[in-house]
Amino acid sequence: MPRRLKLSKARATFLILILSIGFILGGRVFLSAKQSSSEDFSPRVKGNESAPIQIIEYIDFQCPACAKGAKYLKKVIEENPQKIHLEMKYYPLSMHKHGFISAYYAECAARQSRFWAFQDYLIEKQDYWAPMIDPKPTFDLFAEWSGLDLKALKNCLEDKSVEEFVLKSKAEGKILGVRSTPTYFINEKMFVGQEQLTAEITRLLNEGTKN
Amino acid sequence: MKEQKINLFVACRFLIGVFFIVSGAHKLLSPQGNFLYVVQSYDILPSALEKLAAAMVPWVEYLTGIFIVLGLWLRPALQGLRLLLIVFILIVSQAILRHLPLEECGCFGELFSLPLRTVLFMDTALLLFASLLVKNIEKIKSLSLDSHFEIK
Repeated sequence: MPRRLKLSKARATFLILILSIGFILGGRVFLSAKQSSSEDFSPRVKGNESAPIQIIEYIDFQCPACAKGAKYLKKVIEENPQKIHLEMKYYPLSMHKHGFISAYYAECAARQSRFWAFQDYLIEKQDYWAPMIDPKPTFDLFAEWSGLDLKALKNCLEDKSVEEFVLKSKAEGKILGVRSTPTYFINEKMFVGQEQLTAEITRLLNEGTKN
Repeated sequence: MKEQKINLFVACRFLIGVFFIVSGAHKLLSPQGNFLYVVQSYDILPSALEKLAAAMVPWVEYLTGIFIVLGLWLRPALQGLRLLLIVFILIVSQAILRHLPLEECGCFGELFSLPLRTVLFMDTALLLFASLLVKNIEKIKSLSLDSHFEIK
C-alpha cells in the first residue's frame, strides 16, 4: 500500500514538471513568433552597409555601461571600417531621469544628419551631464558644438513625432526581448553588456582574419 | 480527514511561491543574454560557470516556486529556496562590499528595478519568512498536495 502512494506522488511530480516546462517552452515559441513579425524602424547607421559584422545597438545615453560600450565600438569601427556596420536604436530606461530627453535630442540631431557628432558628446561627457537636475542647457551646447541649427532643434524638440519615434524604437526593442542596456544584436544574435559584445566582436574579427 | 483551511502561514507560502514563479518565468521568457548580463555584472564566477548559472538559476526559481505554491515536496522545496536565498544574499553583499558599479540588482528585468541594498533587505526578509515556514511546516500543509498524499 505505501508503495502505491509513493508512486502516485512521483507521478504527480512528473506531471507537474512536464506541464511547468511545457508552459515555458510554449511561451518562448509564442514570443519568438511575435518577435519575427515586429516592424522595422529607420535606423541611425554607421560603417560599411555590406560588412560581415552587422550590429544593432539599443542604447540609453545615461547608462554608464552604454557609454563604455559605445567608446569600444567607436574604436573598433575606426580600426575595422570595412568589417562592421552599426545601427543605433533608442531604449531609454525609466530609471534614468535624463534617458528620454537625451534620446529626443539625439533623434533631433539625427534629423539634421548630425546624430553621430551629437551622440559622441553625450557619451564622452556623460559623467558631466548625468548628475544634473536640468541637462537641457548642456545638450543645447553639445548641439551647437555638433553644428546643429538651434532654431530647427527647438522646433524638433516640440515635435510629437520625435517622442513617438523614440517610444516606437523602445517598443520594438521590448518585442525583441531587450530588457536592459546596452543590448546588441550582432548578426541577429543577442548580446547584453560590453563583456558579451567584446567577446563576440573579437571572435568574429579573429574568424575573419583566419578566413 | 484532516481539515484543509487557509491561515497566515499558508498565505505566506503562496506569496513566496508566486514571487519566485514570476521572477523565474520572467527570466526564462526573456532571451538568455539578459540574465547572463546580470550574472556577469556581479563579477564572481568564471566565464563557463556564468553561462551555466544564467541557464540554471531561473529554472530553479521557477520550479521551486511552483512546488511551494502547490505544496508538493514542501520541505525540500523550502530548504532549496533557503539555500538559493543565502547564495543571493552572499552575491549581493560581495557586490556592495566591492562597490561594483551596479545601479540595480537586475533580478526582475524591467518588471521593477531595485537598488542593491533594498534587494539585500528583501532577500534577508524572504529568508526569514522561508525559515519560519520550515519551522511551521505542519501549519502550512493546508491546501497542499503533500497533505493530499498523506491523507490518501
